Amino acid sequence: MSNVIETRNLRYRAGRNFEIRELSLNVPAGSIYGFLGPNGSGKTTTIALLMGQLRASQGSIKVLGQSMPEAAPRILARTGFVPERPHLYPTLTVEEVLRYHASFYQSWDWRRADELFGRFELDRSLKIAALSKGETGKLMMLLALAQNPDLLVLDEPTDGLDPVVRRAMIIAVLDYVSQRDAAVFISSHLVHELERICDWVGVMDNGKLVTEMPMQTFKSGIKRLRVTGAPALVEDPPFVLLSRDTGETLGAGEVWVVRGWQTPMQQYFEGIGASLREVVDLDLEEGFVELLRTFRTPRAQG
Amino acid sequence: MFKAILYTQWKWSRVVVALSVVIAFALPIMSVQRAGITEPSRWEVRELLRTIEMWSVWYAVFAAGLGLLIATTAWAQDHRGRHVYALSLPIPRWQYAMLRFAAGSLLLAAPVVALWIGALLATAMAQIPPGLNAYPNALALRFALAAFLAYSIFFAISAGTTRTAAYVLAVIGALVVTQVMLQASGMYGGLVEALFDRVITWPGPLEIFTGRWMLIDV
Repeated sequence: MSNVIETRNLRYRAGRNFEIRELSLNVPAGSIYGFLGPNGSGKTTTIALLMGQLRASQGSIKVLGQSMPEAAPRILARTGFVPERPHLYPTLTVEEVLRYHASFYQSWDWRRADELFGRFELDRSLKIAALSKGETGKLMMLLALAQNPDLLVLDEPTDGLDPVVRRAMIIAVLDYVSQRDAAVFISSHLVHELERICDWVGVMDNGKLVTEMPMQTFKSGIKRLRVTGAPALVEDPPFVLLSRDTGETLGAGEVWVVRGWQTPMQQYFEGIGASLREVVDLDLEEGFVELLRTFRTPRAQG
Repeated sequence: MFKAILYTQWKWSRVVVALSVVIAFALPIMSVQRAGITEPSRWEVRELLRTIEMWSVWYAVFAAGLGLLIATTAWAQDHRGRHVYALSLPIPRWQYAMLRFAAGSLLLAAPVVALWIGALLATAMAQIPPGLNAYPNALALRFALAAFLAYSIFFAISAGTTRTAAYVLAVIGALVVTQVMLQASGMYGGLVEALFDRVITWPGPLEIFTGRWMLIDV
């Protein structure tokens, strides 16, 4: 099995103004796949489709080699899921939720659950309704990890949490992955967080998958170039010109953001009578912003 | 798995169950307070039966209310979380619903048993006038069936979405509107009454609520 999640041409309409369109995702086995996108881009809807909570009007979904939603119980038995909004029964205590949840999973690992309890410093006697946001997040993560899943699906798991809790949760996930070789599908709009842990990245915007590639390729391929003397119209560049800021001041040059950059491409600028002054690596967040900007507006190529 | 579901349902409806046990136990005892007449006149026997009959309405109301409360508490927490948690569990939806249904049914047993014990005690302590008989077992059985029926109906409605509930209300509303229009046009106006009669009288499905709930009868 090369992909733990595979969707083909998914379509789902949510209301009048939003639609998931032609969504084809490939999450490689053993990868940590960051699912990026601005708020309202369709990340949570996509995850609901992957978890069998919504039914696509078109297309197919395979999770852990089985079709969703037909094989939902078998898939969910091997998948740890942390939803965007915690949904646990608020009147139960932490201990009661744990026992309730464990009763549904044959692979439940009490030793791991106890170990995470200690690490997350949770109080078993507290009611769910009395937990702070951070405690609820940690409990959700504990429940997902103690299932011993082959796949973790995390929908904005650290959104709104303080850095200490975020760090504890991310470390717990990484520890688990290193022990079990499980795959992780994690959605977030906290780009910096994903940059550190993911080896694959997929970017959603307005219901469509903008791009999907290894993190390294994503990061290394997007550059900010400072160019002087470039003609107004540039033809057939060997890279993808994502944006071009022509506000040249005091000879500082134009700023171009490009994708698919390789060092030998410097020669291109000599060919068009321009001069390349500087090549700057963009971090994931800058690359993400530029990618979305070009996806939403026509390409800046002259 | 069932044990865990039963526990959650018990926790959510334990106040309802505890109160209903008290009411179920007390109801038959209160209804036969006047049964201690050793040498009753004919008038007193009729008065006794009338009193028992008056109380009998409450068994039906109690069974329907109990079914409603146990059914709604079974789904309330899942509705609150928009069923996300239940849907993320590795179990088919129908199986989950059946487990919840079974757990609620089991919880109904407590007030049923309490009513049966209460009815047995009430009739054992009372001096029943000659010509009259006590029916504690039949009353408890009728109560069990009525509570289970009410529970089943309300469970099915509660299990659905808001849209399902809207459909049910729409059907009832359409019936009422049709009735009003038929009456206004001078045509047959007893549509709702006729349907209602069909449902609550034998062999209608809800006849159990309108039949005789007499603990002591001829």
